[in-house]
Amino acid sequence: MNLDGSAVLHASPEEVWSALTDPAVLARTIPGCLSLERVGEDEYRMNVAVGVGAVKGTYAGEVRLSDQQRPESYVMHASGAGAPGQVRATVTIELTPDADATTLTYSADAVVGGPVAGVGQRMITGVAKRTAAQFFTAVDAELTGTVVPIAAAPSAAAASETGAEAPAAQPEVFTGKAGVPAGTPDLRTLALGALGGSLLTLLGVAVGYRLGRRP
Amino acid sequence: MTTKLFGEPVRRREDARLITGRGRYLDDIGPGALAAAFVRSPHAHARIADIDVDAALDVEGLVAIYTYEDLTGPMAEPLPVLIPHPQLHAPRTGYPLANGEVNHVGEPVVMVVAIDRYVAEDAAERILVGYEELPAVIGVDAASAATAAVHGDVPDNVAARHHQETGDVEPALAASPHTLSFTQYIERSAGMPMEGRGVHARWDADDGSLRVYTSTQASTSVRAAIAAKLELSLDEVEVVAPDVGGGFGVKIMHPWPEELLVPMAAIALGAEVKWAEDRREHFISSAHERQQKQEITVGFDDEGRLTALDAHIWHDNGAYTPYGIIVPIITATQLVGPYVIPVYRVVVESVYTNTVIVTPYRGAGRPQGCFAMERTMDRIADALGLDRAVVRERNLIQPDQFPYDHHLTFQDGRPVVYDSGDYPGLLEKLKALVGWDGVDALRDDAEARGKLLGVGMALYVEGTGPGPYEGGHVQVLGSGKVLVSTGLTTQGQGHETSFAQIVASELGVPIEDVEVTTGDTRRFPYAVGTFASRAAVMSGNAIALAARGVREKALRIAADVLEADPEDLEISDGVVQVRGTPGASIPLRTVAVLSNPLRYAFDEAAKQATQFAVQAKDDEPPVSPGDAPGLEHRDYYSPIRSTFASGAHAAIVEIDPATWEIDVVKYAVVHDCGNVVNPMIVEGQVHGGVAQGVGGALYERMAYDSDGQLQNASFMDFLMPYASEVPDVVIDHQQTPSPLNPLGIKGAGEAGVIPGSAALASAIEDAVGRRITSMPISPTELYDLVRDPSAERTAVAERRAGTGAMA
Repeated sequence: MNLDGSAVLHASPEEVWSALTDPAVLARTIPGCLSLERVGEDEYRMNVAVGVGAVKGTYAGEVRLSDQQRPESYVMHASGAGAPGQVRATVTIELTPDADATTLTYSADAVVGGPVAGVGQRMITGVAKRTAAQFFTAVDAELTGTVVPIAAAPSAAAASETGAEAPAAQPEVFTGKAGVPAGTPDLRTLALGALGGSLLTLLGVAVGYRLGRRP
Repeated sequence: MTTKLFGEPVRRREDARLITGRGRYLDDIGPGALAAAFVRSPHAHARIADIDVDAALDVEGLVAIYTYEDLTGPMAEPLPVLIPHPQLHAPRTGYPLANGEVNHVGEPVVMVVAIDRYVAEDAAERILVGYEELPAVIGVDAASAATAAVHGDVPDNVAARHHQETGDVEPALAASPHTLSFTQYIERSAGMPMEGRGVHARWDADDGSLRVYTSTQASTSVRAAIAAKLELSLDEVEVVAPDVGGGFGVKIMHPWPEELLVPMAAIALGAEVKWAEDRREHFISSAHERQQKQEITVGFDDEGRLTALDAHIWHDNGAYTPYGIIVPIITATQLVGPYVIPVYRVVVESVYTNTVIVTPYRGAGRPQGCFAMERTMDRIADALGLDRAVVRERNLIQPDQFPYDHHLTFQDGRPVVYDSGDYPGLLEKLKALVGWDGVDALRDDAEARGKLLGVGMALYVEGTGPGPYEGGHVQVLGSGKVLVSTGLTTQGQGHETSFAQIVASELGVPIEDVEVTTGDTRRFPYAVGTFASRAAVMSGNAIALAARGVREKALRIAADVLEADPEDLEISDGVVQVRGTPGASIPLRTVAVLSNPLRYAFDEAAKQATQFAVQAKDDEPPVSPGDAPGLEHRDYYSPIRSTFASGAHAAIVEIDPATWEIDVVKYAVVHDCGNVVNPMIVEGQVHGGVAQGVGGALYERMAYDSDGQLQNASFMDFLMPYASEVPDVVIDHQQTPSPLNPLGIKGAGEAGVIPGSAALASAIEDAVGRRITSMPISPTELYDLVRDPSAERTAVAERRAGTGAMA
């Protein structure tokens, strides 16, 4: 299925790129993000707790970035799995200057499998769009200073501000807002968080709906 | 109890179960299933701009939301045109869920699945569908005016132009001593079964099998449709019609969107899913029938004999034509009734409107045809100053004219050839039953009481029992129990009783030993369905043939054991015996045991059939070539053409000139459905039909406004007759057996409803002296009619006025 959307962020493309690649921001802004783990060059593993309604669950995902054209565009390859199913998505993200702001457009081509795939496209996209909107609203609040960022600290000893230089053999783990300690995310992680998070979130939401029938 | 039960008024065996709450209807199945609810179009005609499900996502317990985008493969294609016809030149069908456009209020747009129906409804309520409204086409006149089109690519709104003629009607009319032309209308109604539609589906992911329960009249065809639409192999799908709380035709239509969508959801979610229609849904989403405009021109001679008949009919088929033009064809071909019509031409224009689809409802086009023909007879009588019964009598097909070929083509694609009947006999019995010749005295008596009394009659011939076929399976178990199954479905007709009677009679077993199963594709996968008054004719005969097969095998086996000639054996009360030789007998259940050679004795009875118990011939195999183990037989009945039942109804009405209330004080029925399996069941069918006929004539209508909103879509506003409105029905029977089938029977299911509007219009017209040109008629409409100075007075009323009689 295809999932397209856009958000207006009140900062320049360069600032948006920085925010979206700041692990601390991402950890705070990805809805339900528990942790981000750097597992290689532009590759991350993350856990997201999700659930609309009473039931929440944890879903594990991996994200890889490619085709980075800072500050204009990149492509994110995300996959995630939880008990109710799997998601695999390729997401193209573009940042376009628009007066004092930046228009971010995303275009996801997602394959949803497993039982969750049966809940209907409108439901999946509805949840994903809602989650994406929550994420971008949170990011925009960070960019415009309407929220005071909580100081994020790396939960792993060897945190690096430049994830590209971190050796793949020494993974870094950042903890999201939903986790116990806040994490220090890497900038690419963010990007993945934006969409990967929402895709994983939607998975979880769908799961939640399904599990909701068995209190 | 005697085993010769064919023709006996056996009490319905299923009633004790059904009326004490032990029935198993659709909504009794799967109490823990997920529930589906539907977002349906509130507009008669609109484009769908967008669907916003966001607000629904917050509803706790929501499971899934489906729109057209979720449909793939054959599900994304239009629903089938079930019965294609060359004259249906512009067939259109909807999609299981609307694909960008809706064409009637109630068309499904979104399906919601949740933990229960309450939650599903709550979520459905929060889904916002944006519509761009389009002009609505409501009613046959708006459809034929075609100032707007239902389907953009059908600008004249004409789906089909059904045309049949038996000669050159125009010169025949021109040469006729008299002609009359008139226009009349008949309104929409619907069958309104107590139980609406409903579907339950369960997917077994481990073996990839789907079981669907649906409140249907055609489980085998629903099965085939589900397999085709969901791309499953037929063997992976089983469909069961559980107890069905009434059908009346609306459930012969299939596959309903819900019959495909609920299984689709069950597979997608790996869970049981159920949907049970609510009453409002039934009004706005299930089928209606009946609306027609009829322009009739008739030619006749001085004696009232028809010379030619020309009927031009506009038939409202609603938004789509999934059931083809069956109803128009039936109207066109059954209109001719029991009469000789030297030259007949009929054109039925089946037109689209932005209303619920029109598919057969008990009677299925026949009430309209009967209304056209019988009102024509009334007008001829009025014009010539003749008794209405006399005009009819002069036009009847005579008993020596059978088989009578009308040179028309019926709904089954076969010629309209009446197989047998005695129409003058019907009319004579009817006149005696209603007291036709004594009505003037009743009229005077009513007048003395300040009431207007009138009498009317209507005759009909009903093509019943169309093919292509039905089958039956009969099996005798070692316990003596006789299992009977047939594929067509039951929705209240008493098949458990009448089919058991047939088997008990054919096989010579007590009816208590017979168990009947219908509408379960696990038991009998080949069937057509229950419609067109065909169950007794089709499955009744198939079951009889199957029972005869069992009997033949039983006699063969018993003859071996008893060392007798099969010709000398008879079966009675479940025992095979040598005729006239008491003691030389063997129970049928023992024959059943012996029919299945065994190695293993799993019970006492089985011992008798094991290899050391049976006196086997060493040079023959235990099961002979061409034979099969078990005392069972399967057979089919496939008729050459429909068999034609007939009947005559008469009604006496009393009208209160203060309130214009119409009271049906007597209703007489003479009924001929050939040989009768169970006269009590036939009378019950007649009673129910008359109730629906009275409803259609005096109370029921679908009140669409010009925007296509159904304004009486509830039982608060849609009037159905109570027992207090249904007259006592007096019935007389005539039996002209059908030569077409082994049992000589004809269908009886729909007969009672057919002449209701015609007979009551005739009676009301007779009472008030004003031409009745539209049915149903309410007291208010009757009040307006008699006060309308431009309303046409009947000639007989003018004559009565001239002689001082009340007009």
